[in-house]
Amino acid sequence: MIYSRAARHFDFLLLAIAAGLVAYGGILIYSAHLSAYPDGVDLGHPLTKQIMFACLGLGITLFVAWLDYRIFGQMAVGLYASAVLMLVAVLFIGDSVYGSRRWFTLAGQQIQASEVAKLFVIVALARYLADRQPRIQEVQVFLISLVMAAVPAGLVLVEPDMGTAMVFGAVWVGMVLMAGVPPKHVLVLVGLAVSLIPFALIVVLGDYQRERIHLFFDPNSDPLGGGFNILQAENAIGSGGLFGRGLTEGTQTQLDFLQTSTTDYIFAVLGEELGFLGAVLLLALFTALLFRGIRAATLSRDHFGRLIATGIVIMILFQVFINIAVNIRLVPVTGIPLPFVSQGGSSLLMLFAAIGLLEGIVLRHRPIEF
Amino acid sequence: MGPFREHRRWRSAKPKVERDRAGRSPGAFALLRAIIILMFGALTLQLINLQVIQGDEYKQRAEINALREIPLPSSRGLIFDRNGQPLVQNSARFSAAIVPGDLPKRGEAAVYRLLSNVLNVPVEEIDQKVREGAKGQGEYSPAVIKDDIDRDAALILMELAPYAPGLQVITEPSRRYLSGSLLSHVLGYTGPISAEEHAELGDEGYLIQDFIGKSGVESQYESILRGKPGKKLIEVDAGGRELKVISERRPIDGSNLVLSIDLDLQRKAAEVLSEYAGASDNAAAAVMDVKTGELLAMVSQPGFDNNIFSGPLSSESLAALVDSPGKPLVNHLIADRYAPGSTFKTIVGAGALQEGVAAPWTTITSRGYITVENEFDPNVVYVYPDWAPLGALDFYGGIAMSSNVYFYYLAGGKSDEGFRGLGEDKVAQYARAFGFGEPTGVDLPGESPGLVPDSAWKEEAIGEPWTLGDTYNFGIGQGYVAATPLQVLTAISAMANGGDLLTPRVVKEFQDSHGKTLVSPEPALRNQVPIDDQNMGTLRAAMRQSVTAGVAKNAAVAGVEVAGKTGTAEFGPRLSNGKYETHGWFVGFAPYNDPQIAIVVFVQRGSGGNDASPAAAKILDFYFNGPRLAQQVDRP
Repeated sequence: MIYSRAARHFDFLLLAIAAGLVAYGGILIYSAHLSAYPDGVDLGHPLTKQIMFACLGLGITLFVAWLDYRIFGQMAVGLYASAVLMLVAVLFIGDSVYGSRRWFTLAGQQIQASEVAKLFVIVALARYLADRQPRIQEVQVFLISLVMAAVPAGLVLVEPDMGTAMVFGAVWVGMVLMAGVPPKHVLVLVGLAVSLIPFALIVVLGDYQRERIHLFFDPNSDPLGGGFNILQAENAIGSGGLFGRGLTEGTQTQLDFLQTSTTDYIFAVLGEELGFLGAVLLLALFTALLFRGIRAATLSRDHFGRLIATGIVIMILFQVFINIAVNIRLVPVTGIPLPFVSQGGSSLLMLFAAIGLLEGIVLRHRPIEF
Repeated sequence: MGPFREHRRWRSAKPKVERDRAGRSPGAFALLRAIIILMFGALTLQLINLQVIQGDEYKQRAEINALREIPLPSSRGLIFDRNGQPLVQNSARFSAAIVPGDLPKRGEAAVYRLLSNVLNVPVEEIDQKVREGAKGQGEYSPAVIKDDIDRDAALILMELAPYAPGLQVITEPSRRYLSGSLLSHVLGYTGPISAEEHAELGDEGYLIQDFIGKSGVESQYESILRGKPGKKLIEVDAGGRELKVISERRPIDGSNLVLSIDLDLQRKAAEVLSEYAGASDNAAAAVMDVKTGELLAMVSQPGFDNNIFSGPLSSESLAALVDSPGKPLVNHLIADRYAPGSTFKTIVGAGALQEGVAAPWTTITSRGYITVENEFDPNVVYVYPDWAPLGALDFYGGIAMSSNVYFYYLAGGKSDEGFRGLGEDKVAQYARAFGFGEPTGVDLPGESPGLVPDSAWKEEAIGEPWTLGDTYNFGIGQGYVAATPLQVLTAISAMANGGDLLTPRVVKEFQDSHGKTLVSPEPALRNQVPIDDQNMGTLRAAMRQSVTAGVAKNAAVAGVEVAGKTGTAEFGPRLSNGKYETHGWFVGFAPYNDPQIAIVVFVQRGSGGNDASPAAAKILDFYFNGPRLAQQVDRP
């Protein structure tokens, strides 16, 4: 029964777009690694690993889609607890990379705790807000949901990982508004947050973040140090022009002027080698993906499903926006991968699980017909 | 558990939720879609700005980013004496430096210790120099810890550099002058290019760290010695490693110079000069080929070791060089001017013969002085002395005995006796014809033009009218007239060779780096002196008589007929005994019948007859007799 239903309602387009983005990323990863792996792709090549993760991800999508997503609602408490636990643990046993603790190693694999936590927190928030539908106007519900999002966001901020913390914030705002919380609550909170910015700049932000904000406004103050990446990424993207310099032809990429060119700065590779048209193609793919995500939300039979879909859409939207905005110097540097495109196992598996959730919501968009 | 308190009620709530399915406003989703379009639109706008509008600019920047221009220095030409003896060597000078910004964050102490062990410099001193350097020139400029370290230490440090971040060994090209102070004025030296020189020569590819000739032939022939530095354009990765050469222009090495200087003669002249310089602050001697203008020896004392400019030079030792009374950095042969004294009588004599003021038989009697009455007040009488009451003298005697009275008559005349002299204008005219009053054009920098006075000059410079007394003083090379020893030498050389005033030179030929001759400059004639051969002959005979039977007897050399003229020129303030200090001069040529070389000897404090003349004799003796004997010993 389930298979025939799958055949009818499964959103093949959604999965195809996701797979297309991974393939697009694969091409860029290959190009960016050309100078380090000039002999082509073999088993040790990062692209091979990325493809393996993508295949695994595909399996996860199908598995999660096959499960009734409401199962995750029942597991929400456990998921939320384990998300917080992971985020705490990573601060103590995590591997420090580029001055922040985001990864821990499990069975030889590096796992980025915040990637897994994002999805778990979305599920937990969806569950809580769905349960509170009758009392959704109450301030108490609003505040508890805020604490639920603020705890993991705060932990991520301590790592420090400003970008992911912002994603948590955006996801929470989107979900509570979608759940029916009065917008004025959110407005008051946002107003409060804005008025606290000066305080935050002085007290809460570490030297690390202040330095990054300073460099955003004046990367030339340290062109060979902290400002190097900012300037070189800008150079790379700008030099791509309309049509790009051609795949594997970008000097900024091929001569290693870009750091982390397969993760946080993969968009700079795309901008340089494939140009404005390549970038527009990427944005078109993301737009299509996100619209398919919204479609899942609209089709959802229940609040829980709709809120999960909304959370996932906003999560992906913000990651894409922040990543690209950092690359083209619209916002200060904050390390965040480009969904589906950047090299990285944790992120990819989490995203495929998210696609699985969306598929699950679409598959069950009407009462089961026995 | 807090937020999930109502967990159990969830199942029962399910049907309600399902009923609610289409309940929420589709407006929320439309808003979400709009937000997506808006956010991606913002990104697209910035992308258009970067890629489409400013794309070309960024493309250029990215290209510059990956390209580096690497200078390929050319090796500086070498310098040899006329017999092929090398005078300079190219070598390298090393200094140890630390780039403060490249030091490991917490490991700088290890780098300091390592450097301290190799260089024997205390760690505290290194630390201090690094701090000062970082403060003064910034984090990424190397702070020199020790300058001019020896080669072994430099090699050790170069080996260690990869393990000691921040450590840098700076290598600079350096010139070693093999003859030390002997040729310092001729060769000159090289030094770091100054900001002004760089601004002036920047177009020729000089870099701010380049060395450039600062004096002597090093400066005069800078462009020839330097050659043409090349450069290559390479593509580099972000770490600065060379990936491929895009274009390359090979450097063209500088040409070698062969000087006209004979190092052995130069050494002998320096030796002799030291012997006879006595209490002089300085002294000079030069020997010139009268047919070509080539300078065979060119000594200015005191000298200096030009190697000191290849290393770090403290401001104290530089000040000592500059302030020393003998002015060692000055080439006194060309850069300083002196009263030529009686050597100038040769020129007045030549002019007088040519103008018919005097003939070889013109006889004038010296009673030891002449007197001149003041034009306006006959009671005021000026006395112009001779150095002795020499009695009746013909032209030969006048030169040979160096009679002042004789030349007072020739220059200024004696109106009460009806003797018409040349007059100051003619004296000046002949002085200029023999090259006085303008640089000789020798191929060395810093030449003084000397001074040939006349009435117009005196009016302007002193503000007084020219007097007869001025003409008398002019006639014996005193008063305002001033010349460099090299000017006197070229004038004598013209008398020796029959009237060709040649441009003196120290470079005989240019060779490529394999020793092949590229160019041998021809003798350069400046001026044909307007004196008839017959009169020149008379002048030469008079100068010959000066050595055989006159005041220049000390210049005589066995086996060679020397002709010449002494000079003992008063200078400075009158001393307590009523006399003046004197410069001692000798100028002459040899052999008398077939002149080959001319010589000038100048001692700043001394006498022409007793100091300059015997010094000249020893140098001439070495030239004509010394090398010949040496050759006989060399060839069995």
